[in-house]
Amino acid sequence: MSSSVAGTVSPTRQAMRRMRRDRSARVGLVVVALLIVIAAAAPLLVRLAGQDATTYHIDLLDPARGNAPRGAIGGASGTHWFGVEPLTGRDLFSIVVLGLRTSLFIAVVVTLITTVVGTLAGISAAYFGGWYDAVLSRLLDFLFGFPQLVFMIALGIVVPARFPRWLLLILVLSFFGWAGLARLIRNQARSLVAREFVEAARSVGSSGWMVITRELLPNLLGPVLVVATLAIPGYIGAEAALSFLGVGVPPPTPSLGRSISDSIAWVYTGADPWFLLFPGAMLFLAVLGFTLLGDGVRDVFDVRLRRTN
Amino acid sequence: MPDLVWFLIRRLFGALLVMLALSLAVYLIFYAIPADPAHLACGKPCTPDRLEQARHFMQLDQSTLQQYLNFLKGIVAGRTFGDGTAAVHCNAPCFGYSFPLARPVTTLITDRLPITASIALGAAVLWLLFGVSLGVIAALNRGRILDRLAVGVALAGVSTPSFLLGLLAILVFGFWLNMVPVNGYVPLTESPVDWAWHLVTPWIVLAILQAASYIRLTRSQMLEELNLDYITTARAKGAGEARVVLTHGLRGVLVPVITLFGLDLGGLLGGAILTEKVFSMQGLGDLLISAVGQLDVAVVVGVTLFSAFLIILANLVVDIVHGVLDPRVSHG
Amino acid sequence: MAEPVLEVHDLHVTFSTENGPVPAVDGIDFAVAPGQTLAIVGESGSGKSVSSSAVMGLLPSNADVTGEVLLDGRQLAGLPNDELRKIRGNDIAMVFQDALSALNPYYSVGWQVAEAYRLHHDVPKKVARRRAVEMLDKVGIPDAARRADSYPHEFSGGMRQRVVIAMALVNDPRVLIADEPTTALDVTVQAQIMRLLDDVQDEFGTALILISHDLGVVAEVADDVLVMYAGRAAERGTVRDLFFRAAHPYSLGLLGAMPRVDVPPKPRLTTIPGTPPGPGSITTGCPFQPRCAYTHLVGERCITERPELTPRPGEGDHEAACHLGRRPEVIL
Ligand SMILES: Nc1ncnc2c1ncn2[C@@H]1O[C@H](COP(=O)(O)OP(=O)(O)OP(=O)(O)O)[C@@H](O)[C@H]1O
Ligand code: SF4
Ligand SMILES: [Mg+2]
Repeated sequence: MSSSVAGTVSPTRQAMRRMRRDRSARVGLVVVALLIVIAAAAPLLVRLAGQDATTYHIDLLDPARGNAPRGAIGGASGTHWFGVEPLTGRDLFSIVVLGLRTSLFIAVVVTLITTVVGTLAGISAAYFGGWYDAVLSRLLDFLFGFPQLVFMIALGIVVPARFPRWLLLILVLSFFGWAGLARLIRNQARSLVAREFVEAARSVGSSGWMVITRELLPNLLGPVLVVATLAIPGYIGAEAALSFLGVGVPPPTPSLGRSISDSIAWVYTGADPWFLLFPGAMLFLAVLGFTLLGDGVRDVFDVRLRRTN
Repeated sequence: MPDLVWFLIRRLFGALLVMLALSLAVYLIFYAIPADPAHLACGKPCTPDRLEQARHFMQLDQSTLQQYLNFLKGIVAGRTFGDGTAAVHCNAPCFGYSFPLARPVTTLITDRLPITASIALGAAVLWLLFGVSLGVIAALNRGRILDRLAVGVALAGVSTPSFLLGLLAILVFGFWLNMVPVNGYVPLTESPVDWAWHLVTPWIVLAILQAASYIRLTRSQMLEELNLDYITTARAKGAGEARVVLTHGLRGVLVPVITLFGLDLGGLLGGAILTEKVFSMQGLGDLLISAVGQLDVAVVVGVTLFSAFLIILANLVVDIVHGVLDPRVSHG
Repeated sequence: MAEPVLEVHDLHVTFSTENGPVPAVDGIDFAVAPGQTLAIVGESGSGKSVSSSAVMGLLPSNADVTGEVLLDGRQLAGLPNDELRKIRGNDIAMVFQDALSALNPYYSVGWQVAEAYRLHHDVPKKVARRRAVEMLDKVGIPDAARRADSYPHEFSGGMRQRVVIAMALVNDPRVLIADEPTTALDVTVQAQIMRLLDDVQDEFGTALILISHDLGVVAEVADDVLVMYAGRAAERGTVRDLFFRAAHPYSLGLLGAMPRVDVPPKPRLTTIPGTPPGPGSITTGCPFQPRCAYTHLVGERCITERPELTPRPGEGDHEAACHLGRRPEVIL
């Protein structure tokens, strides 16, 4: 029997082996690792560059050109690696790396929350079925019908200004985010529950919790991991979009989306395109890296995520 | 087909229920607003007396539930605020009245809708054509240079936020090459050419980005589809490669593609908000954002409900199209 | 025997895969004449389907095909796809095992049969449809004119297989290849479908290549039999040769594994112990050697020398690939 060979290698091992062979996964992994290091060490990096994100450097601006930075490449130099922000002269490198930190922090936290909640909700719905499943399914329908971005913008009117915006962002993104995963996991888990090994585990008297953690979860690890990795770039984009629209994290906390929004006027006039390009490139890189990694993870686990309703 | 009629009636009824639940939720959330919109309307100096008057005029002194019922009634029968010469009428279907703008929400939405719809629908047509055909081409050339190119474009597309690409396009085509207008909107009725000319950049930007997910979806579905037995049957019958792919393969691919398209169309309003800001167009997104700034709850609720309505409508249409495209979907 | 319409000489099919070349078919010959039935039997994986796909030119691009495939003396292997297309479904047609997956779920059965006709006849849709209904009627679909508008999933398994047969026969092909046409069906329906194939063959003089696991069916309908083992011919001859004078130990094993109604059941059915080798895994000697119950009668040669098909003296065209000269006695 040829399967005896494959049988001795654990699925995780196999996955790791395939991961090493998949080029997009490798590139994604490197980019993501780099981004995480940058984001984690951002305050250190900023200190290393001898800068901070708040000090104004009016002397580096050219009043004749509407206070755009003096010099080429947005005023880039040995001290200000990405140049300075127009109008204020704040160090753009600091703003970009600290902005990345903000983005990744929010995206990762939201992904953790939605993954845990979505997986638990999906599995429990499949396992217990009945009215619990029915109610949950209606709730998911309801969440899918919600105009998320519109709602998130609109919510700015209701929540008092004292409430920390980053927390609001995390809560709102999580509130809508778990629904997709929950539905997917519910459908996959339901076909597992119908299979004999779960039946067998039940019949020998395993508790519901045991069946869920010992039988269902390990079998759903692949899809959960794939959805989680592919969700991160989505949340990075969503955070940036909300900040771009002025309803994300408020100043002075640096944010890539807000910097890009601030750059509009400088792009329209062409006075300082670099103010768009540096934060834009960082945002693009962050989304791209996680997307590549997610694609790789999907190929490795060979999970097909069909959109069906 | 009485089956289909029943199916439609059932689905319409279901959609109506979801819509009602949504509107109640939205109403309860937004009328829990801590700031008092009446404050803005009461003028200076705002004596408690005048504040009370304003609240009464705007019907904010009633319970939230009563206000919701008024709102529902307004949709069917219209509403009148205040009485006598100062009275303000809001004709049916009345989705609220904006006191800061002194206009019914319905009019505000219908005034702004053409701009948003022009951006969204034009782009949607482009990306559907573009995405599906590139996806098919990629699948047919699997592993070859065309495939790699399409996959690369798709990857870059899904990784670029729309506002970022929009600004880059303005920078390159509007500013450096000075080819296209960078912002503004010209109504279709005024000058169709100018209308299209002002929209061409946002269309292409949105289309490229959205097409990315269609390339990916079409490609992977087509690759799966081409392994199916009935594709071999088609070849065994003597069908040429073009016919095998376009007549026999594409049909199965279209079902998930249309599903995605429906979801995207429903969510288009959200995307258009970003595009409108990038290209300085005063569509529904602009309406919403300025309403948030002015604590204009009626407009916020109106736009939110309107976009929810679009999503539910899109889901309904997708279900129906599914039934048409796939004979195995039963309406029973 | 009449002139063969289809002849295959020294057919080799090698797939190039990640794990190296896979010689799925390793030099086989067969021929079939109009009105005659050739049965190809053998265990799963012996290369039956690959051989028939090679005849149709339907193998995936990783397959390397050599040898001759002659239709009326005209070489098909190596023809450009465009030329082959005109032959597929027109001169040589195919009936697949699983009719549900072989039919396109998105089109009505009438459309699919008509399509097969239109691919080879330049006629208006109306005419093709009339022809399709006629064909559906002929294969025994009740109320064919109305049922032509139904979709595959609306038919029973047996009726679906009739549709596939109608589709294959609509162009009056000279050769019909049926790859396990009845394995997906229950026993009574199997008999009906076989009778149908027999009837149409009588009526149109079609040459039939029947791939089957079911020796009972083979005994009933075949004229000639080719026994395949591990991509090679183990034995070849008439039905009588195989059933009364089987010369290859593998054929004997197959016969022993066959349930019979004319003899009282043995305490347990003889099956051939062991599993067939993977393609290409045995390079010297007889591929059947590890499972052969007679190899001790021959000795070394079974391991060192590959047996070629050799005629059985005094038995006409009967050939077997076995070193054992005399007829093996049945070992139980
Ligand atoms: N595309 C392919 N690539 C590589 N190997 C293949 C391919 N198609 C078939 N094979 C191999 O060729 C061999 C013969 O397969 P084939 O389908 O002809 O068997 P079969 O005799 O029809 O069996 P069954 O009775 O199960 O239908 C198998 O071992 C199979 O693994
Ligand atoms: S050649 Fe030898 S091993 Fe092969 S079938 Fe004959 S007796 Fe058996
Ligand atoms: Mg087969």
